[in-house]
Amino acid sequence: MLRTTLAGLRAYRLRLLLTSLAITLGVGFIAGTFVLTDTVRAGFSQRVTAEADKVGVAVLPKGERSSLPVRLLERVRAVPGVLDAQGLVRGKAPLLGKDGRAVGDLATTAISIVPGPLDRATIVSGTGPGSDDRTAVLDKNTARTHGFRVGDTITVLDSGRREHRFRLVGLLDPGVDQELAYTGALGFTTATAQRMTGEKGFHEIDVAGADPARLKQAVAAVAGPGVEVLTGEELAADLASRAGVQMEALTVALLMFGLVAMLVAALVIYNTFNILVAQRTRELALLRCIGATRGQVFGSILIESVVVGLVSAVLGLLAGYGLGAVTLRVLTALEAPLPTDAPVTLSAPAIVAGLTIGLLVTVGAALLPARTATHVAPIAALRTQAEQRTFRAGLLRVLSAALFLLAGLGTAAVGALVMPPGQQVSLVVVMGGGVLTFLGVLIIGPVLVKPLSALVGWIPRKLFGVPGRLAVDNAGRNPRRAATTTVALTIGVTLMTLISVVTASTRVTVADKLDEQFPIDYLLVTQERDASIPRSVGESLRGRPELTSVVQIRDTRAGVGGHRVEVGTFSGPISPDVTAGAMGDLGPGQVAIAAPTAQRLGVRAGDTVAVRTKAAGTVSLEVVALFGGESPLPALTVAEPEFDRYFGAVPDSRVLINAADGVPADRARGVVDAAVAGHPTIKVSSSTEVRGQFDETLDMMLLIITGLLGLAILISLLGIANTLSLSVHERTRESALLRALGLTGAQLRRMLSVEALVLGLIGALVGVALGGVFGWAAIRAMLDGAVFSAPLGQIALFVALSGLAGVLAAVLPARRAARASIVESLTTG
Amino acid sequence: MTLTETRRQAPPAVVARALTKIYGQGDARVHALRGVDVAFATGAFTAIMGPSGSGKSTLMHCLAGLDTATSGTVHVGDVELTGLSDKRLTLLRRERIGFVFQAFNLLPTLTAEQNIRLPLEIAARQADQVLFDRVIETVGLADRLGHRPAELSGGQQQRVAVARALISKPQVIFADEPTGNLDSRSGAEVLSFLRASVRELGQTIVMVTHDPVAAAYADRVVFLRDGELVSDLAAPTPQSVLDTLMRLEG
Repeated sequence: MLRTTLAGLRAYRLRLLLTSLAITLGVGFIAGTFVLTDTVRAGFSQRVTAEADKVGVAVLPKGERSSLPVRLLERVRAVPGVLDAQGLVRGKAPLLGKDGRAVGDLATTAISIVPGPLDRATIVSGTGPGSDDRTAVLDKNTARTHGFRVGDTITVLDSGRREHRFRLVGLLDPGVDQELAYTGALGFTTATAQRMTGEKGFHEIDVAGADPARLKQAVAAVAGPGVEVLTGEELAADLASRAGVQMEALTVALLMFGLVAMLVAALVIYNTFNILVAQRTRELALLRCIGATRGQVFGSILIESVVVGLVSAVLGLLAGYGLGAVTLRVLTALEAPLPTDAPVTLSAPAIVAGLTIGLLVTVGAALLPARTATHVAPIAALRTQAEQRTFRAGLLRVLSAALFLLAGLGTAAVGALVMPPGQQVSLVVVMGGGVLTFLGVLIIGPVLVKPLSALVGWIPRKLFGVPGRLAVDNAGRNPRRAATTTVALTIGVTLMTLISVVTASTRVTVADKLDEQFPIDYLLVTQERDASIPRSVGESLRGRPELTSVVQIRDTRAGVGGHRVEVGTFSGPISPDVTAGAMGDLGPGQVAIAAPTAQRLGVRAGDTVAVRTKAAGTVSLEVVALFGGESPLPALTVAEPEFDRYFGAVPDSRVLINAADGVPADRARGVVDAAVAGHPTIKVSSSTEVRGQFDETLDMMLLIITGLLGLAILISLLGIANTLSLSVHERTRESALLRALGLTGAQLRRMLSVEALVLGLIGALVGVALGGVFGWAAIRAMLDGAVFSAPLGQIALFVALSGLAGVLAAVLPARRAARASIVESLTTG
Repeated sequence: MTLTETRRQAPPAVVARALTKIYGQGDARVHALRGVDVAFATGAFTAIMGPSGSGKSTLMHCLAGLDTATSGTVHVGDVELTGLSDKRLTLLRRERIGFVFQAFNLLPTLTAEQNIRLPLEIAARQADQVLFDRVIETVGLADRLGHRPAELSGGQQQRVAVARALISKPQVIFADEPTGNLDSRSGAEVLSFLRASVRELGQTIVMVTHDPVAAAYADRVVFLRDGELVSDLAAPTPQSVLDTLMRLEG
């Protein structure tokens, strides 16, 4: 029996090729994900280990404490066995770009680069600062984006906002330190770093010495409580696991797409095996006639699927290795802030996962077809012509589909309409409804195929004459097969439509909210939250005729009960969206609170809150109003004179500016820019810029997700090609008959193309409908006050591309059909 | 002048000259046809007979433009088939040739009527309603037109196939073992119907068969053996056909 199965596999290898390709692609993606993340992780740990190897023991602040006192360094140096100890300084020091303004949204982080064996910095070009206090090094990415080269003079602000100039002597690789990679990094001598950042203590003390374990005990003894002492190895593990958490999130996200691809592949496999079993009815019946048991028939189909699964999973692993290697190359070329230089490896877990998933999906998908095969009666061997399979919509099918659809749509409606929006649980409920609905569609699919193909095929029927009409009939000829084929495509199109509806709606909703609650043209903020805008800036703008309103907002943090909250005030015209009470003019002893903060503090309008102030002790304030959380006002807003009394002179944290009507944007902007000219760390952002950045982020996300879903779509197209080529094979004699009756080769090709077009369009239309509905539900569940927006252009594009892709999938099968010899097909088919 | 006499004087519907067909290469070369010269009269019912492997099906495929001969010429009416492109051959089949095969004559997705009209629709020609009604009446399928092939008996399916071949008024109909899959009664029905279409509609039919009874329905039987035309029998009876076969095999 095994020999028969293997012989069968050899005979059908071409037909199984496309099937294996589906699994190969899915497994390839999953394996590629592992290769990518494993390699990056290996890169991280290599670097971390290389860095930590230099360190015998590291002393770190623990808990509340954010730095280590300077005198601790002296105590550590005095510990017997310590060869060297260095304190590492880390703090903010804004680098000024060539335009004289601070670079980036956050201030550059300055670090000390220590001399001797404890130097952990990776200098990629030039040298370190050595002991020269007039030199600095800069991380390579910041240097590249802002056009600095070794030998240039750079200007950096110290903690008192004074400018200092340094000669750039080298470029630094921030390595695995995500903070440095994000803010940009400047490296100085320890003394300079202390001077520039104004940091009083150390961020870390590194100790060199033999026997880390004993050293750790000795250092811990002098360090006292509130610090953590780690050996170099422990430090490496700590750093690596922090990097590992990020990689884990990336792995999980990528694997989600891999699983979608595998789901689609499973449908393709299921369909292929079903068709193969149907086509081999006589062969299977013959086996039964000559004594094969049902179990043997079942086993032979299963063995076939095992072989297909294994072969394609192995190919998938190879493909994944290549995919991972190529992606790493691309990331290296793009200079992504990830270590991509570790040797590319296919780890054992990746191999096991790839093989297991590939095998399970293939065999799992072949189970039902194998069971069908056991139902072939021996007598079928004697029938001359395979009987036409008719499909009737059974009552059970319709009922269960209706049940799933009702439950799914109902659940989604509850999630979207009844549950509170903006909470994860609502979204989960909507997605649960989506899965149920999808199952319903899967069940009802075969019933829908006929009417849908009539609908979709209306134009091709008119347009392509006899081939068109035959094609539309053929598309609906085997409803089960057509349904499975198209559902594979539906999955991809549904997800794509859903994502594009969600992004479009998010865009519109956020734009609306920005307009409504944040109607400002320019916003002034500083790089650091605690640093601030001198009041004079806002005051100088206030009188300008080009501007209509200037709102200055000041805030600070204060204790309220057990919480630390933002307490502040404002001057200028602003009217927040009051949800309870009345704000009017805040008087002494009154406070307005942002609704989310009020909820957190557990207070309502009319209650009183006790605020610990800096200058006036603990004051008791009456809550007179609650306002919406999107308002730019501080969470606890008090009247201006009261704020001054409570907290003394506090500079502005934000300034909101509106240009006067009719003033050209560049003139208004000029006025604002002039006002901040002397303050390089103040950032001016305009609402159009904010919106533009937001749009860019959304577009990028859409692009990436669409790209990743592309794999699922590709696999489903393989499914269409596969179904079609198996159908072509099945209809060899039919095609030959048509050719004999005078259908030209071109007409036969067109017929198959139209059939594929119809299948593609059905899949796409169902997907668009599902994606639209669930996109709406998802956005309702995700955002409060969501505005629905369907990007019709994009959706039409999805439909058109699906149709086109279907036609492309038909190219090869159609060519084979048109080229087949009529005489041979008539006699042997 | 009678109808028959007019037909006798008309040029032959199909003519083959020095037709050879060689399959394979080297040691595997098979001479399926070794220089066949034959003409099929317009308005006549001719049967091609011969033992298995005699080349009768190959001859029919070459005459019908389904297969290309290795050398020699075939004329259907005034058109020479030799050297025509696949597209021209297809158009020629569409316009001038009708087919009835042994099995699998009908598209399973179409009804009987749709199957009958299919050649006209492929050629984008209008059906001659008078002819259609007459054909339907002759084959006795009036109440079966809405059925699909799976709902028809074997004999009914073959009658639909014959009706389909007739409807486009082709210059010649090629029938390849049209009764091969039928019981004798259904076979007799189909054969009578073929003969009737020659007598009443003036149709030209060339039929390949190995059944002497079927061949006896024809006006003339030509015999092939090893790719050569070996005998030609006019006004055959089952007995005379059988005798000729015995002589050829013996």
